[in-house]
Formats: sequence, C-alpha cells, structure tokens
Amino acid sequence: MTQSDFTAEEIAAVFPKLAETMAEALGCDEEEITLTASLIDDLDAESIDFLDIVFRLEKTFKVKIPRGKILEDSRGPLSESEFEQNGVVTSAGLTQLKAYLSEVPAERFKTPLNVADIPRLFTPETFLKLVIKAQREQAGAAQ
Amino acid sequence: MGNSQIPMRQSLPIETPPNPTQQRMDSANLLENKAVIVTGGSRGIGRSIVLTLAAQGADVTFLYCSNEAAANETLAAAAELSGTVKAGGTVKAKRVDVRNAESCEQAIDEIAEEAGKIDILVNSAGIIRDNILGLLTNDDIQEVLATNVVGVFNVLRPVIPYMVSKRRGKIINISSVAGEKGGRGQTNYAASKGAINALTKALAVELAPRNILVNCVAPGVIETEMTEAIRQQAGDVVKSRILLGRFGQPEDVANVVLFFASSLSDYVTGQVLHVDGGFKMS
Repeated sequence: MTQSDFTAEEIAAVFPKLAETMAEALGCDEEEITLTASLIDDLDAESIDFLDIVFRLEKTFKVKIPRGKILEDSRGPLSESEFEQNGVVTSAGLTQLKAYLSEVPAERFKTPLNVADIPRLFTPETFLKLVIKAQREQAGAAQ
Repeated sequence: MGNSQIPMRQSLPIETPPNPTQQRMDSANLLENKAVIVTGGSRGIGRSIVLTLAAQGADVTFLYCSNEAAANETLAAAAELSGTVKAGGTVKAKRVDVRNAESCEQAIDEIAEEAGKIDILVNSAGIIRDNILGLLTNDDIQEVLATNVVGVFNVLRPVIPYMVSKRRGKIINISSVAGEKGGRGQTNYAASKGAINALTKALAVELAPRNILVNCVAPGVIETEMTEAIRQQAGDVVKSRILLGRFGQPEDVANVVLFFASSLSDYVTGQVLHVDGGFKMS
C-alpha cells in the first residue's frame, strides 16, 4: 500500500489527530511529528512505544488495529520464509518492504536488513496508513 | 589516654533510631491510591495477595475465572479486613477467563477507565494438571500452557499501554519453584513456569526505558488447594527437602509480592525471587 493509495482528504483528516496522539505518546512536540520522521532515530521512540502508539490510535480513532499488523502487512503476499531467512530480510522481502514503506527514503533501507531492525524504518506515515486502512475496513464492515 | 577521659559506651544514653522501613510497613499505606489488578485472585496465593495489597491501601480489582463462591469469599475477607486496618483500599472482583484475549482486553479497559490508571499488575492465575509425561493428555498440556503462559500475555498486552502512558508501573508475575527445579509429573507445569521466568526477564528489558519494573515471585510448596494432592502424596518427603522444614503459607508469598509492588523495590527489575523456604537449594 503506497501513499498514492490514499486520498489527500483521507490524509488531511487523519494526520492532525495522529500527530497530536503520537506527540503525547512520545512526549515530544507536535511539530516534530512529520510524516517521514523515523520514530526510533528521530523521535527517540522505544520499541515498547509502538504498543502504546497503537493503543492510543485505537482509542483516538475508534478503530481496531490487530497487534503485529504492521509486520504482517509489510510482508504483503510473501510467506514468512519468502520474506525472511534466519532473521534477515530476503531480496524479495526487501523489494516488498520498500513498496509497502514507500514513504521511507531509500537510503534508510540498509542491506542486509535484520527483521529486528524493521521498526527503525517506521514513520508516522506508517501508522497513518494503518489508521486509514482500519477506518476503511471498519466502514466496509458496517455497510 | 585513660579511660576516665572517655565516657564509657554503656553510660551513653541508649536511643534506638527508628527503622524507616519498619515505620513504613506499620503505617499500612505502602500502596495508598495505587490501582492494582490481580489475576487469579479468588483463591489461594492470589487471594492472599489481594488482601495483603489492599491492607496497604491499594484499590484492587481481582480477576477470577469461574468460581464465584470463592470470589465472594475473597470479597468477604476484604470487607472484614477493611475494618481492621487503618488504610485499607477497595477490593472488587471481575469474572474473566484469561485464556480469552478479547475478554481480557475489555475487562482491563473497563477497570482502567474506572480507576483512571493501572499502577500494578500481579499475574497470579494458574492451573496445575500434574502427571508423568506418558500419561499427560494433549489437553493437560494445552490447558496449562493456555492459562499459565498465554493467559499472562493476554493480560499484559492491554495493561502495558496504560503503564507506558504514565511512564511507570510494576508487574509481578507468579511462577513456581517448578520452573527451575525438576519435579516428577510436572513437565507441563514446569514448562509453563519456566516460560514465565524467561518472560519476566525479557519484558523487564523492554519496559525498563519507560520505568516499568517487571519481577517474578516463584513460590515453593505453599499450603493451598492447588498443592493439596502433592502434600498428601509426598508431603513428608517434600518437607524433608525444604531447608526451613515447613510448607509455606500464602502470606509468605504475598509479602514478597508487596515488596515488589511497593516503592521499596524501585531499583529492582528482571528478578525471579524464590519464596520456597530453601527448597530450590536442597
């Protein structure tokens, strides 16, 4: 799922509240939350903050985001063994990951890329996508 | 220099300085205004933990799976207790099966919404299905792991965000001496409790940056319904291997949980403390 899959209206509707929520979770200024900031490297997020961020986004947007959804979505159609081998993202996996995290500048994808380092790539936009996708699914389920 | 110039030690006025720790224990408010969740709180060790923490001022909600009569006994004991301690907190019960992740999430949200926070979580829910490996059924294995391990995850995951958002919290897992000391007929139970010891250490690493402390209390043979069969079948043999020569009481465990729950242990995380009268060492 790339940014082009979302409308400007969808992004504009979600981003302000998302930035506010993430700033609260990370204890930083709202202005620091940009779509492309690295949550870990730029905003000092700890791995456990992702649980907190997802939790807060669920409450704020009244959506359900299953735990582990980002990593599951980032694999796309690939099986686990196609995506990674011995904890390292495969070549096919890297291509899929770059497509999924299209907002992340190419230079941030290091090779070899350990699966454990994937969260270092996450940005606020990664979570923005999750929220919009969850909203769409929820709207679809309600119809 | 003669003795006459030095006051004899015995002649000095004897004034024992107050022991700050003892003073704090006596004041019965180690957990004043703390919102606490205890799983498996209707019986045995869990009940004792509920009562011990409430006696120190904590507002405790305990979860229980199905035994409503036992839950009511805990509530009655708490009501009785509130008249005897200075700073007793409130005690409430909630029926939740920890094996069900959705039920846990819903219950935790309700508790947190009412209390406005969750300060302390004690994972005490556990079951036992002892048998030698050749006679263990698949259900014996699955049920023990589902409650004792998956159940802990199911409660932890919805609780942790509330602690992360406050940048503080205490998590105390109850495992067992069986998690480290081999015992015949306990492969399933031992595996589940060893998992909790390992989980405690890994989670302590993950949560330390957000000032959430995770510790584990590993009881030995405690006089509860759960250990009744073991005590009846091999009580004397087991007791002879306990250095202190007696089985433990639920309060022995609850007091150590209190230590981990209170500010007395604010520089301790990732530890597994055996409360077993020296059983593991023998």
